[in-house]
Amino acid sequence: MDEEQVWLDQARRGDKAAFGKIIEAYQRPVYNLAYRMLSNSGEAEEAAQEAFIRAYTRLDSYNPNHKFSTWLLSITSNYCIDLIRKRRAVLLSIDEPLPPHPSLMSERASGPEPQIMQNEQEEMVQRLLAELAPEYREAVVLRYWHELSYDEIAEMMDTTVSAIKSRLFRARRQLAEVGMAEGLIPASEEVSLF
Amino acid sequence: MEHERFHMLMMDALDGELAAEQQTELESHLRACPECRQEWHAILAIDTLFRQAPMLSPAAGFTQRTVALLPSRRARLWAISIIYVLLLLSGILPILLVVWAANTVVPLISQPAFVESVQQVWAQVVRLVGVIGGALFKGLGELIVQQPAILGWLLVLAGMVFVWNGVYRQLVSQPTAVSLRGNN
Repeated sequence: MDEEQVWLDQARRGDKAAFGKIIEAYQRPVYNLAYRMLSNSGEAEEAAQEAFIRAYTRLDSYNPNHKFSTWLLSITSNYCIDLIRKRRAVLLSIDEPLPPHPSLMSERASGPEPQIMQNEQEEMVQRLLAELAPEYREAVVLRYWHELSYDEIAEMMDTTVSAIKSRLFRARRQLAEVGMAEGLIPASEEVSLF
Repeated sequence: MEHERFHMLMMDALDGELAAEQQTELESHLRACPECRQEWHAILAIDTLFRQAPMLSPAAGFTQRTVALLPSRRARLWAISIIYVLLLLSGILPILLVVWAANTVVPLISQPAFVESVQQVWAQVVRLVGVIGGALFKGLGELIVQQPAILGWLLVLAGMVFVWNGVYRQLVSQPTAVSLRGNN
């Protein structure tokens, strides 16, 4: 039995410290997914906490035949999509500047040039993601940051592999269009696939 | 339609799933088609941008803050167990009451002595009502025979009530009748 399974068994019996080790192990992917989905660090932390609490209270419904990380990320993304739907009326548009992640903001004012460039890139990423419908955004985040296969994303989002490929295809084209319209993409005449 | 096929090839290229001949085919199309070339550059730039974006971490102390928010699973399990027991009891209790009643009351009711005593009590009640009713009728008849004036007075009283009833009706309906005539 691996370490994770031991922690989960202990957590099922009410051991919060054991579940703390699970949180320690998965805090980064869960928080990153929440932040990429919500574009707000405060909301992302609350969503990540809520996802862990839901996972803890629903541990009995977790099927050990599936990857725990997939189950946990699924809880996180479902919660984030619910939040996005609730706040749809006040969704940020691409014209409004999004607040950068605090870990980037502290180095903004006095940071060296590469750091400033990284911050700008980060803002651009969130501005582009905010343009996508929640289901498309979820597929893109899971593919790029969590490096899940199409099968895993399809299982998580309770749909087919072809539906996921189609969502990613449309999402990438939409991102490319927005990028070109906003002048975010530098023009290049070279033809290379790499 | 032809462009759509190359769009699909672009997606396969991003996923690294493009065969050598498909790669050559896509490259030659991109050289010939400025529209697709521009889109490919944009998609490639987005892909690079997203691949370079780091996985972000929460602020320090996230684990401690989250563990502090976790509800007590033991308390939850106790609460659920108590609810289950209460539900079980609420279902079992009426059944137990019925069984208890069947075991204690029914044997008493079904005893011949009990049935006989109930019949006797009922017969006595009926007899008592008959005796009281008969005594009242008999007493009233004897009173009328001995004092016929009482019957006369009763008839006079009934006549007075009848007459006063007629007078009252006339007095109450009179103003309405006058006003109706005045309108005509």
